[in-house]
Amino acid sequence: MNNPVVERELTGMLRRGRTLAAQVIFASVLAAAVVLAWPHGGNVSLTGAQSQQVFRLFSYALLLGAIVIAPAFPAVSLVREKQAGTLALLLNSPLTPRAIFGGKLLGAVGFVLMLVVLSLPAAAACYVMGGVSLTGEIVPVYLILIAASIQYCAIALYMSLRARRVDGALRLAYAAVFVLAVLTMVPAEFTQGSMFTSLATAGDWVGAMSPLATMAGVLGQSVLTNAGTLTTSHTVAFLVISLCVTLLFSLLTIRRLGQRLFDQPRAAGKITDDRSGGVRFFRRVMYLWFFDPQRRSRLTGPLANPVFVKELRTSRFGRSHWLMRLVGLCLVVSLGLMLAAAYGAASAGSHVMGMILVLLQVALILLITPGLAGGLISSEVESGSWQLLQMTPLSARRIVTGKILSSLWTLFLLLLATVPGYLAMLVIDTSEAARVGRVLTALAVTALFALLTASAISAMFRKAATSTGTAYGVLLLVCVGTLGIWQGRGTLFGFQAVRAALLINPLAATLAAIGAPGFTPYQLIPANWYIMAVAGALAVGVMVVCVWRLTKPQ
Amino acid sequence: MTQAPDLPVVKATDLTKKYGAFTALDKLSIELLKGQILGFIGPNGAGKTTTIKILVGLAKPTAGEAYIVGCNCTTESKKIKRLVGYMPDTFGAYDNMRVQEYLDFFGAAFAIPRKQRRTRIDWVLETTGATHMRDLFVESLSHGMKQRIGIARTLLHDPPVLILDEPANGLDPTARVEMRQILLKLADMGKTLIVTSHILPELSRICNVVAIITGGKLRAFGSLDTIMHDLRQKRLFEVQLAGTADAAAAAARLSDLLGTSVPVEASQVEGLLRFSTTLADEELAHVLRELIARGVMVTQFREVQQDLEDAFLSVTRAAAEQDRLAADVPAPAAGGAVS
Repeated sequence: MNNPVVERELTGMLRRGRTLAAQVIFASVLAAAVVLAWPHGGNVSLTGAQSQQVFRLFSYALLLGAIVIAPAFPAVSLVREKQAGTLALLLNSPLTPRAIFGGKLLGAVGFVLMLVVLSLPAAAACYVMGGVSLTGEIVPVYLILIAASIQYCAIALYMSLRARRVDGALRLAYAAVFVLAVLTMVPAEFTQGSMFTSLATAGDWVGAMSPLATMAGVLGQSVLTNAGTLTTSHTVAFLVISLCVTLLFSLLTIRRLGQRLFDQPRAAGKITDDRSGGVRFFRRVMYLWFFDPQRRSRLTGPLANPVFVKELRTSRFGRSHWLMRLVGLCLVVSLGLMLAAAYGAASAGSHVMGMILVLLQVALILLITPGLAGGLISSEVESGSWQLLQMTPLSARRIVTGKILSSLWTLFLLLLATVPGYLAMLVIDTSEAARVGRVLTALAVTALFALLTASAISAMFRKAATSTGTAYGVLLLVCVGTLGIWQGRGTLFGFQAVRAALLINPLAATLAAIGAPGFTPYQLIPANWYIMAVAGALAVGVMVVCVWRLTKPQ
Repeated sequence: MTQAPDLPVVKATDLTKKYGAFTALDKLSIELLKGQILGFIGPNGAGKTTTIKILVGLAKPTAGEAYIVGCNCTTESKKIKRLVGYMPDTFGAYDNMRVQEYLDFFGAAFAIPRKQRRTRIDWVLETTGATHMRDLFVESLSHGMKQRIGIARTLLHDPPVLILDEPANGLDPTARVEMRQILLKLADMGKTLIVTSHILPELSRICNVVAIITGGKLRAFGSLDTIMHDLRQKRLFEVQLAGTADAAAAAARLSDLLGTSVPVEASQVEGLLRFSTTLADEELAHVLRELIARGVMVTQFREVQQDLEDAFLSVTRAAAEQDRLAADVPAPAAGGAVS
């Protein structure tokens, strides 16, 4: 290998103990799934239903793994080099930006591909058991996996180059992946069956950007309601789109990866109060005064928790103008859904719209919360500012309260902006009021659980990237991973096993609250809420203990 | 909290810190009075930061005690936070925050009332010459600017003791001079300062007390004059030879005159002999006369003026030698004793 960056990235990653642990755990879980499905006592399913079930389960698990793992390493790669000053050294070497980018991409993709290779024996076992087609299922599934991994690595590298901080890079990378993997499935829900053929085709093309929908199509299933109609041509479409997206982000990264990266002026620190009367008046009207980013902030009030105020000021989404932009976006999406619900209610039914809303809101929680709370404590420890906090008279309780409240406030405003969508449900069917109430409660429980879990994880690590990545992993495992067991209901897992798995899943409880098919028989509410309350309390306890330990002298 | 001016503001007695088998700090004792500036000198890993961390209540000593204005640094860490302004070697910037917001946060954390906080922020910015940085974003500041804001932050709650870890590190000459003026101004205000630095000429210009630490042990402590005087007991001399003279032969003759216990360094390239001695001026005049009488072509005979850097090097070399000798001491035989 001639590229030293590839060697450094790949060998650096393989040297870590946790990489080996991840590989071992991954291979063991796949082996366990195959063992579980392997015919016992001479009972062989001639239809191959059981092996199909295992293959589906592990295909989704692999895809979820790729979605979670692929962006994690490249998202922190370039931003860390920038922070450590080693990117300037790399750019000052004879290595071209293309070689640096190529090395980083190959290093990141290499690790994900290793995991994919580790899954081949399990896939082969499914094939041997029968019921799974090599060309119709196994090859397309692996092609989707590889294409999605490369695509997300390329996107994450671009985000890493754009971001100034590690947690910001992770947030941007996962947001982009979420948009491409999940949100792209939504338009097809509304456009399929439309009288305008071109609209339906556009919806199909957008849907083909999602590896989830494409894989569902390959496996003959549906993730939402219409995604199951995707065909083999969509697999090809996905591969082509994926290649285009990869090329686009690669070019953007290589173009940006040059000496120009460091040739930027420092922020001037303009303040509206110091500018001419005309400009001052214009900005005050334009930004309604309160939302002006160049407004001189008032001093922290006597009753305010200084940590709360500091968190809102330092977090990009905490600043009022950014928060309002995000809230506005959520409001627009929500109203768009409301409109779509009003038009499509006759064909799809209000509960389908409700289900989409719930999925979007939970996805928003899963996307935003680890980014908001996953680095609350660890980023302070990593940057060295924790020492300064320690030197203030602030107690551990006050620090924890301020930090949690700051994230809760942002999350609350964002979720509030999505609530109008439910008005549509109530307008269509007023008898839905009780159900909407249950759903909103379940969403609040989900948000709190996600927030407290991510906050607790942030206090357990010393690096923001590790804690944020772990928070994403844990929440996805709880909310999406347990759905894998639900997928195997009736064939691999019995009723009680599925119920036990779903009881710890707040997403399942919310879907049950909205009456989504497949979830209602398990009676998850209110047991799930109690479990979430206990888990949340435990998370707060863990966080307080960890922060208290951090505030104590060494 | 006020106390009598002759009582030490900072007092550490037999401070020891061990991490497992490794001793980071070994029985360190220091005392500082109000308005004194202590230059805390030592190579990397000598135990400076460990000492500082104990003094500010971020680390617990394995043995020994430390007090700041009469408060125990270990058991009264809450009080210590209000008595000490600590600037670590890392700035601890918060992104997306302007300087005023940054200072406001720490002021609010110290529960300084809002009206008073505004005045304090203005005052600390003025004292550190950073008023023009008020609206700049913290992350966009240059290193020198950050150091000023770091000092401004430590002054917010008006502590009697300031502990500054490498405040002059990475500063350009102008910024270094300005930093020196700021520190002297703070000492004039009656603040007691503990300053660590690798830039010794800089320290010697502001410090009135010096502590030299190596390998976790305090090797020298006292006023700058005392340390320099102790050092002067062994003065360094240089003998410049004529261009063609044989430096090695001249060194041998000089060694004969001084006695074999005094090592003489010879540099043929520079045509120079160098030695340290406790001899008085009259005895040295006799040595010079004898040297010339023995045919050594001397063009200059001079005493080398020593500064803090030499003091530091001299003390650390002696300490290294002492540690080496201690390591060479054979283990005592069973039942025996080492005197």
